[in-house]
Amino acid sequence: MDFKKIRSDFPIFSKIEQMGRKFVYLDSAATTHKPQQVVDSIVDFYTLHNANVHRGLYDSGEHATALYEGAREKVAKFINAKASSEIIFTSGTTESINFVAQTWAVNNLKSGDEILLTQAEHHANLLPWQRVAKQTGAVLKFIPIFCHPELDSGSIQINAPEHLVTPRTKLVAVTYISNVLGDIWNQGQLENLIKNAKAQGAKILIDAAQAVAHRKVDVQALDVDFIAFSGHKMFAPTGIGVLYIKSDLHDQVEPYKLGGGMVHSVSFESASWAKSPHKFEAGTPAIAQAIGLGVAVDYISQNLNFDQIAEHEVFLYKKLLSELVKIKKIRIAGNISEAEPHGSMVCFTVDGVHAHDIAGYLGGKGISVRAGHHCAQPLVKLLGFESLVRVSFGVYNTEQDVDTFVTELTEALKFFGAL
Amino acid sequence: MSSKNYQEELFEHFKYPCNKKSIENPDFRAGQDNPSCGDKVAIEGKISDNKIVEVGFSGSGCVISQAATSMLTEYCKGKTVDEVLALTKDDILNLVKIELGPNRLKCALLCLQVLQEALLTFKSAKK
Repeated sequence: MDFKKIRSDFPIFSKIEQMGRKFVYLDSAATTHKPQQVVDSIVDFYTLHNANVHRGLYDSGEHATALYEGAREKVAKFINAKASSEIIFTSGTTESINFVAQTWAVNNLKSGDEILLTQAEHHANLLPWQRVAKQTGAVLKFIPIFCHPELDSGSIQINAPEHLVTPRTKLVAVTYISNVLGDIWNQGQLENLIKNAKAQGAKILIDAAQAVAHRKVDVQALDVDFIAFSGHKMFAPTGIGVLYIKSDLHDQVEPYKLGGGMVHSVSFESASWAKSPHKFEAGTPAIAQAIGLGVAVDYISQNLNFDQIAEHEVFLYKKLLSELVKIKKIRIAGNISEAEPHGSMVCFTVDGVHAHDIAGYLGGKGISVRAGHHCAQPLVKLLGFESLVRVSFGVYNTEQDVDTFVTELTEALKFFGAL
Repeated sequence: MSSKNYQEELFEHFKYPCNKKSIENPDFRAGQDNPSCGDKVAIEGKISDNKIVEVGFSGSGCVISQAATSMLTEYCKGKTVDEVLALTKDDILNLVKIELGPNRLKCALLCLQVLQEALLTFKSAKK
């Protein structure tokens, strides 16, 4: 993989540099940039093919439908789904999880049933289940995240999560990669948990938002029932996301929205649904964005290799970490003691300086990092932080990005009197 | 935002805040926090002849939230309750003299929300 060539596929870097501004983007966990191919696909759709899907019996209508359904097939292949009818287009991870909560979960859970989450969930995989618990009387249980007490820079660990699975566990809804801690699962741990939960008859939902641009997601190998992710975190446009629903469950899951395009037949009094995926996609979908997602999948398949992405990110991660640990008052959240870390992000704070001040200072120097609670307030509090600076990598980041970040971070800390 | 945005006066107010003290038997008091970033501000003070005669604050958080509170507490001394209740976002921006995007504006405005909440409570208690 030629990382220099890959970076040049993302026009935003050269455009901003041409305008004479520095641009070090270290916030890919929030959203990734888009390669030229994806940008072009949006322009092409609106200039050449614009039409609604599944309706018009004219050339552009047929063509738009073929492109839209083609994108679904690409996504199905990308996550190794058995059939493209298992791919439901949504607006993103948040809608995908709310979808499962308000359709399958509220209709299939009852008082005393258990939903098993981790303490590291993004609010998008926590609040929908809090609502389901209120609606059904189900109980939320949490797989604890432990910090190694002997290491002051909090190494993270999950112990034997399968022990929390009981005959009452009806759903395990957990993150694949945390948006604060990065990798939280040890080798084989998530797979074991899934196996144990399935043996008790539980359904499995994986929040793969932070995983899709960094590792191969294989729904059959993982043996999951639902997977949720967003296009914009994997080089595709905003406004498009995916909910994978395993075929066996299509009859058990009610439609999330009702309206055009999702019916078999309708009378004044009642209606019957079309088959999946149309049953689950009422109304005009985000057509251009779905096509853009298909092109992003093509981009990944044709240009990227997940093993090499991981290697590249771990290289950047280790380089960054080796510099960060030299800072006296720093506290790092995450798996920093692991021999082979998964390196897509690092969260930290420096005593005496608010994370927003660090991020604000760096922003003025052309460096984009995120600061705050990262939509994981309970986790950030649990780890003993109020606010964290997050540096997260994408495939286009370079060693130079890390060097610039470290130099300017040092300047920021001097400025705020912490060095 | 950068070092140039953390202009000197603002930064001095952060390092050496004015009125960071408690007030005995205050006539007005309120406190709020912004859970999205952890900024905390509480303001209290005394009123005489409908004017703010004493004011103090406590808090923690980013430079902008704390410096703006220091500046506002200085600014409001001697002003009437209604004058302070009439202050707007633009008045705060004039005080802090930096440009703020939508994501940092709430840091600067926290102090105004707290002070106005305290004065509104004071006013309604008086009625």
